[in-house]
Amino acid sequence: MSDQTGKQLSKEEKDARFEAELLPVLDPLYNFAYRLTLDEDDANDLVQETYLKAYRFFDYFEQGTNAKAWLFRILKNSFINEFRKKSKQPAKVDYSEVEGYYNTDDVEGESGVATTTDMRTESVQDLIGDEVASALNALPVDFRTVIILCDLEGFTYEEMAKILDIPIGTVRSRLHRARNSLKEKLEKYAKSMGYNS
Amino acid sequence: MESKFTEAYPKTPDATREEECLRVSDMLDLMIDGEASTDEQQYFNKHIEECVSCFENHQKQKLLKGLVSGHLKRVIVPHSLVQSIKARIQETL
Repeated sequence: MSDQTGKQLSKEEKDARFEAELLPVLDPLYNFAYRLTLDEDDANDLVQETYLKAYRFFDYFEQGTNAKAWLFRILKNSFINEFRKKSKQPAKVDYSEVEGYYNTDDVEGESGVATTTDMRTESVQDLIGDEVASALNALPVDFRTVIILCDLEGFTYEEMAKILDIPIGTVRSRLHRARNSLKEKLEKYAKSMGYNS
Repeated sequence: MESKFTEAYPKTPDATREEECLRVSDMLDLMIDGEASTDEQQYFNKHIEECVSCFENHQKQKLLKGLVSGHLKRVIVPHSLVQSIKARIQETL
């Protein structure tokens, strides 16, 4: 994240710092990779690629700065620049291509996605989790990305702007549209389950 | 003619309320994401105390965020991944 040239570290120092500062981000990073690629092997490759790059540029990483945001940015760039091109899968729909579809704001008057009072058993919780996952996975990758970064990983708008290389205004509008789209999908599900309040 | 135009677009308290609702609706994400300024928070909270529809929209938006943060299952990192990362790093040195 920093462009400050770090002092030369010995290999041992570098390895120790790399392990202490960057490896703890492995779990969120792998989860992010999985939500982008929707494939465990692809997520595995993407995370390895990310750490390899991070190690290569570790001398430029300023200690104490936001390691998590830095790694997420590297991973997201790897996904866009290399991974998506290499992937044999058909190109996933890009945000700009579907932008027009997601301009509806008419969500008032529809039912909430679920009530919580009668949903405390584990199996119902699992069911909700599965449904949220499938609704999220059905979103275009750019929508999915902002929701994961914000709601699952708790990044601020400013951090998201840096990770995604877009202005904060674009983060806000993309998040707004992504949530409307997710809401629409979950409301359909809630209705099919008989929640019509 | 001018008076007809004025009648068609009366400046009523309702119109002001509608503008407020619109503004509050634009602030929904900022509020649930903890990104609203103190002034925005005050404006927002005052409005939803008086407006049932905006209050409900706020509840729904919080619920939606809670569904993702509280119900989306995390995938388990494969045990071998850390070793693979370390091995690849050593290979490329």
